[in-house]
Amino acid sequence: MLTARWASLLVAVALLVTGRARAETVVKIGAALSMTGPAAAYGAQQKAGILAAVEQINRSGALKGMKLEAVVEDDGSTKEQGIAVFQRFINKDKVSAIIGPTLSNTATAADPLAQEAGVPVVAVSNTAPKGITDIGDFIWRVSLTEAQVIPGALKRLQGKLGFKTAGVLYGNDDAFTQAGYSVMKAALEAQGIKILGTQTFAKPDRDYNAQLTALKALGAEVLMVSALAENGAGIVTQARQLGWSVPIIGGNGFNPPAFIKNAGPAAEGVYVGTAWNKLSQEPANQAFLKLMAAKGVDPDQFCAQSYTGVLVVAEAMRLSGGKGGRADVKAGFAKVKDFPTPLGKFSFLENRDGSHEPSVQVVKDGKFQIVQ
Amino acid sequence: MGQQIINGLFLGSIYALFALGYTLVFGVLDILNLAHAAVFMLACFVALALVGSLGLHILVALPLAVLAAGILGLILERVAFRPLRGRANSNFSGLISSLAVAIVFEAVALEFFGPNVSRFPFGTVPDRQMALFGGVVSRLQLTIIGIAVGLFLVLTWLVTRTRLGRQIRAVAESPRAARILGVNVDRVIAASFFISSALGGAAGVLFGLAFNSISPDMGRSVELKGLAVIILGGMGSMPGAVIAGFALGLSEVFVVAHLGASYRDVVSFAGLFLILVLRPRGLLGAASLREA
Amino acid sequence: MEALRDLYLTYQSTLGYIGLNSLLALSVYATLSCGQLALSNAGFMAIGAYAATLLTKEAALPFPLALAAGALLPALVAVPLGLPVLRLRGVFLAIATIGFGEVVRLGIVNWEYVNGAQGIVAIPQKTSLWMIFLAVAAVLFVMARLRGSKWGFALEAIREDEPAARTMGIPSTAYKLAMLVLGAAIAGLAGGLEAHFTFMVAPNGFSFGRVVDMLVFAVVGGTARYWGPVLGAAFLTLLPELLRELAPLVGIEPGPLRLMVNGLVLLAVILFLPNGMVSLPDRLRERRAARRAAA
Repeated sequence: MLTARWASLLVAVALLVTGRARAETVVKIGAALSMTGPAAAYGAQQKAGILAAVEQINRSGALKGMKLEAVVEDDGSTKEQGIAVFQRFINKDKVSAIIGPTLSNTATAADPLAQEAGVPVVAVSNTAPKGITDIGDFIWRVSLTEAQVIPGALKRLQGKLGFKTAGVLYGNDDAFTQAGYSVMKAALEAQGIKILGTQTFAKPDRDYNAQLTALKALGAEVLMVSALAENGAGIVTQARQLGWSVPIIGGNGFNPPAFIKNAGPAAEGVYVGTAWNKLSQEPANQAFLKLMAAKGVDPDQFCAQSYTGVLVVAEAMRLSGGKGGRADVKAGFAKVKDFPTPLGKFSFLENRDGSHEPSVQVVKDGKFQIVQ
Repeated sequence: MGQQIINGLFLGSIYALFALGYTLVFGVLDILNLAHAAVFMLACFVALALVGSLGLHILVALPLAVLAAGILGLILERVAFRPLRGRANSNFSGLISSLAVAIVFEAVALEFFGPNVSRFPFGTVPDRQMALFGGVVSRLQLTIIGIAVGLFLVLTWLVTRTRLGRQIRAVAESPRAARILGVNVDRVIAASFFISSALGGAAGVLFGLAFNSISPDMGRSVELKGLAVIILGGMGSMPGAVIAGFALGLSEVFVVAHLGASYRDVVSFAGLFLILVLRPRGLLGAASLREA
Repeated sequence: MEALRDLYLTYQSTLGYIGLNSLLALSVYATLSCGQLALSNAGFMAIGAYAATLLTKEAALPFPLALAAGALLPALVAVPLGLPVLRLRGVFLAIATIGFGEVVRLGIVNWEYVNGAQGIVAIPQKTSLWMIFLAVAAVLFVMARLRGSKWGFALEAIREDEPAARTMGIPSTAYKLAMLVLGAAIAGLAGGLEAHFTFMVAPNGFSFGRVVDMLVFAVVGGTARYWGPVLGAAFLTLLPELLRELAPLVGIEPGPLRLMVNGLVLLAVILFLPNGMVSLPDRLRERRAARRAAA
């Protein structure tokens, strides 16, 4: 009897000792996000998603013996700061991978440094079709480009609404909205939809009445808009105020909840191509929503994409045999296939862009609904 | 066509109101107050906080925000302009110090309100549309146009019919002579700043109500246009600011309608450039703008 | 050794930007030194950056030649700009040159050939730190020579009292134009260097805010000495790095903190040290002399 008790005590002590002796390596992931500057609204959501994902992965113990640590720094929405942050991540913090930067313009300046240093970068919000993954084989992307979202969305909507003409309005002083416009123009032409008129605006603009009036006068059946959320809200509000009731189709910039919040009733019926189906019942998505709700965050697409970015990095480490080095992450990326994420089943394409099913959504009763 | 005219008048009234304050300070002090756009923005946030957090009615919040803007103007004058008054290059240093204060104001807004874009709660102003001249105009837009014109008339009355107005004009003409004549120059200048910033604040709140896109950088779209307006109208000329404001609003709208928005700002700045080169005193400004 | 190399790599871009910002500050100083507040340098920088980039990418020109062209083109543009505009006084010159800068930026945004707002990417990194510092040294040398010479006295006379200077026979317009052209060349050179340092160039890097930054570097550093702008540029480029560490301690977000400190530093300088940081020893000397005289 005494022996049994001693034995179990010994086992307990042994387990305790070995448990403590099993040291955990800390693997750092750098996150270069726009916490200030024009893209600050997106950075905040991205930070929330990244921190939540890191916490979730550490808690789940999916990476044995490794603890992920996120180092979040502000890239100020400028290339100068983005470069400085990347250099700190690469040379001072010695991260295994970098997530971000938020803006495509910053990425084209900072990513080459990571490529040269052999540090994998996961773009989670860069949607410029060219100039991101083409930088090199260490640059990978989780965020779908507009080229991957818009054409499918347009096709589905044309089938549903049956329009043959369109007016286009886009922000021409921002790389993201400008790239989005090129995609929209190509998609409209590919679908045989006649573009009756094209108007532009600049990011600081708040008054779009002149442009909208001019487009309305042309009698287009739909209005396609490539704009960021803050411009988008104003655009749809003013369009409706002018009495223009045609369907409005927005690009990626319309996804943040800020769009609905600021546009209010004017947002009703607006169609938006999206990379993230918030209503998806898939377990990976539901778990994400529950996690963010517990933190009091209403996640948007940027949050979901950043969260996914971290999940993919961890998955890459797992696929490389549980190793967290830079080369391991890169090698692991190539192996990621149909990995369940809040965005859906995710894989990387040949050219390192991301791939998963996009969707079309419509605003109904102040919320995004999926268009079937 | 009618709609575009309405669009132009509406946009122009915002420009005019913003430029009125700008040009007042320039007329009196010969200084460009680069913090005007920051006061414009802060006043709007004050109104937003009063309506959104305290639940005040907009008709109460608006005058309060305008008052707050005037006070900011007083602070601005005391901190950034008065200490520089004796200096030889006070124009230049005034420009720089107002720029510094503008940066600080924007930082404060960023810290307390964050970078996100906000709007006034729905229902702050009744959303009533009317048909006019073949276009659609909202009650709010007409109100704003009316307020802009109204404030201009009040300001004109103030400057031409009241004692303070006479004193302002005296100081604008020559501070030294005014002082000799017994005018309390310091107080008059402070008053000018109060009025100017109050006008800028009013422009800010109305802008916020009109476009519902309130953020620390909301002044960007008007600050440079404001410069164009006061140059076009003539520095120091209040009727000039109003006429030029409406003119710029209308011309911008028509350029957009016929040439496309890409050319809009190019036209504005190229126009600004031409005016400066060909007729620097603008439409209604006083002369003596070139080097002797 | 490894640690030293890492330290260097971590701060390499900061060092590079100290140099680039010094060049930009000196380009504004060129016109400030004769009393002209010309704010066209973001536009000049853009012209230089795009010209150099197009020459290396499309025409495969050797880098030094591309840089030279990038400095020359804005200098040429400065002439037709300066002739009408330098006649305007103070604030009006500032506004006209701001207008010029905006027109250049908008022109680039609307120019499809250079991808508008998306800019030109994948520019080969040909700029090394030594090139930047060599450029700074060269410009400083030029400024130093100007300062002590007849030219320098003429500039100072124009700054102090232009009508008087003209009465004395100084062709003020020619001098002012020459400094505008010099400033444009320096800004263009900085533009070309930056484009080949950061792999890309886009119009949003040449906004009104950019030229305001340049002005702030020059003013904070001070125009009392020809190297004042470099001091200002170095100080204000390093400041954000320092504040990044400080922010969590003070409890303010780094972004707003940085803005606030920038604004307060600028305000403090203009109120208390109007000739910039570089005039601090002079001021202290004056104070001490005054105290001694009063005693």
